[in-house]
Amino acid sequence: MIQAIRASIAIVVSRWVAILLRATGRAGTSLPGLVATRLSPQLVHRLLRQLDTCVLVTGTNGKTTTTEYLHALLSQDADPWLVNRGGANLLQGLLAALLTVCDARGRLRIRRAVLEVDEATLPLIAQSAHPRLVVLTNVMRDQLDRYGEIDQTLALLRRGLSDPAITLVANADDPLCAALAEGRTGTVLYGFSSEVATPGFPDGVRDGAFCLQCGEELHYSGYFYGQFGLYDCEHCGFGRIEPHFTGRVSSGEAITQLEISEVAGRTAIQYSVSQVLSGLYNAYNLLSAVAAARTLGVAPDRLHAGLARFSPPIGRMQVFAGDPECVLALIKNPAGANSVLRALMNDPREMAVCFAINDQDADGRDVSWLWDVSVEDFISTVACQRFYCAGTRAADMALRLAYAGVPRDRLTVLAALADVTEIACAGPVQVFYILSTYTALHPLAERLPGRIRVPRAVGQEDSA
Amino acid sequence: MSRTIRIAHLFPELLNLYADQGNLAVLCQRGARRDVSVEVVPVRLGSGLDIADFDLLLLGGGSDREQAVVARELFRYAADIKTGIERQLPVLAVCGGYQLLGQYYELSDGTRIPGLGAVDVVTKAGPADQRLIGNIAMTWGHGSVPDHNTVVGFENHGGRTFHDYDALGQVIRGHGNNGLDGMEGICYKGVIGTYIHGPLLPKNPHLADFLLQRALRYRGQPDQLDDLDDGLEWMAHGTVLRMLGIKTDDLGVTT
Repeated sequence: MIQAIRASIAIVVSRWVAILLRATGRAGTSLPGLVATRLSPQLVHRLLRQLDTCVLVTGTNGKTTTTEYLHALLSQDADPWLVNRGGANLLQGLLAALLTVCDARGRLRIRRAVLEVDEATLPLIAQSAHPRLVVLTNVMRDQLDRYGEIDQTLALLRRGLSDPAITLVANADDPLCAALAEGRTGTVLYGFSSEVATPGFPDGVRDGAFCLQCGEELHYSGYFYGQFGLYDCEHCGFGRIEPHFTGRVSSGEAITQLEISEVAGRTAIQYSVSQVLSGLYNAYNLLSAVAAARTLGVAPDRLHAGLARFSPPIGRMQVFAGDPECVLALIKNPAGANSVLRALMNDPREMAVCFAINDQDADGRDVSWLWDVSVEDFISTVACQRFYCAGTRAADMALRLAYAGVPRDRLTVLAALADVTEIACAGPVQVFYILSTYTALHPLAERLPGRIRVPRAVGQEDSA
Repeated sequence: MSRTIRIAHLFPELLNLYADQGNLAVLCQRGARRDVSVEVVPVRLGSGLDIADFDLLLLGGGSDREQAVVARELFRYAADIKTGIERQLPVLAVCGGYQLLGQYYELSDGTRIPGLGAVDVVTKAGPADQRLIGNIAMTWGHGSVPDHNTVVGFENHGGRTFHDYDALGQVIRGHGNNGLDGMEGICYKGVIGTYIHGPLLPKNPHLADFLLQRALRYRGQPDQLDDLDDGLEWMAHGTVLRMLGIKTDDLGVTT
């Protein structure tokens, strides 16, 4: 009874918070959820339990984009699906999304949801959400100050996936992901065709370098990027399993079509979807979303119509038209940043690149991950004459670039984030890439559409 | 006359949890810009280690699993490393590597995981939910750079380390060795041990030069190093001091 009263109070109060936020133009945050969680910690579970169909998306990178893809693919009949947007994937973010479809008596108006969930939050909600299907994008090293080590992340995921009734949709190319699928029945695997793999052992692989089953070093005959590849353990026999959904993209140039071959029973069917966002990592996101949607019964001929509804999340290779064109991309950990840099390396245009690096809680307080990013390969490949650094950790990033080989006279440390938009209007380049951590992303995305072209000479800031 | 330093990077495949290769990049480039050629030899599992070949050992940190593998491998060389240290061999040990140089790591149930015993340092596990995490700044009094008397970085460790040697510095803000005695790291003969990663050397160029000079002297070479333009380095260093609310004037630091 007391629980129910607390829940009602939490619902009412959080609604007022949401109304206030909207009135002050600050909608879309987790604040109503945070307030409601404080007032009634059980509320999120009470609401999750009401879901008839719950689909979760978790993993280190690609959660937000995959969730958007999947939501677009699923939302094709009269009944809507609830979704949490913008990476609000902790308890309060989930609650904030649920509260938007909850009446004053605490009943959900929408009973099916596709929700992005942080790896550490998954075990907390697995029981109440009772997910029918979980998409696991990948398991990579995130900011270290959040969970400690990768072993800990794996343990959290194992706990979250312990219910055997969950259909796991997992990345076959990621050995850490595949290890979590071992021994489960009904797992759906997706991956890329071995024909498009780069032969040899991936450089700088660390997270997936050792077999989780026996601890021996993994052998790779080819790789896609990061730890994704064609791996096997010569010691215990653990290895990549041929996926149920195999993707094929043309490599080296901009990816526009994703060919998918799906094994259904003894036959294979082929179809292709248009790739909305550039970069191989986004092709992985799309492939996982298609695998999940197909598993949930979306027909192949409905995929195209579904994707037409897709709107990219903020700052995922978001293009802002102008002169020069501006592209905003989120980076938050080494693997994610490397995949973004790879996409830039496939862009032959003359570019300027700005790194906006903050160190708030949501970014990760520890910026040592910048040194795990493959900056050396990047700067030796791209046609970039000018590098800018902004954010609270601008100087750290500038140092990272300097030690990777960028001459110091081509490096500019910007004093404020606001300067980024000004710089983005100047300079004789064809494209201006802004790679940003989480908390700098929204301020930048808000400023970029309104940028005005103000020619301005840019010199190196005196760093003394 | 060309000068040379050889660095043994111990088990890079296992001990690089906190981007320790950043420390190597700094040592190599700061050496190269002063005509000191710095050769880095990755020492991998099973490849053997002859301490006499090297002028500096770099021992980073790994996860518990990786740390245990390294400990097993390094035990074979424990006596060599200890002898080397007594003869002033420079060593840079970070996080897990720092703990590993000591006598033991005591788990919360009292079990002691033996270390190399190269220095008389012990580490005890802290409460599981109380890792010592955050930006840190400490005093720096070992080098000869009068204008820069702080060392900054980021720490993240569960272990509490205790010893009676000189510390690397006195904590100004942050936790340090154990969060109790206000000391961070160790500075004993050629050994520098610290919980600072992030990595340590890019933002602390004075410390990088200090290590280079020790390695040069260890090999019997002149240790004179010309000044470099360290504008970016001190800017990044100053960012951490500012974030920690440390007024540089009070410390006589110019940035």
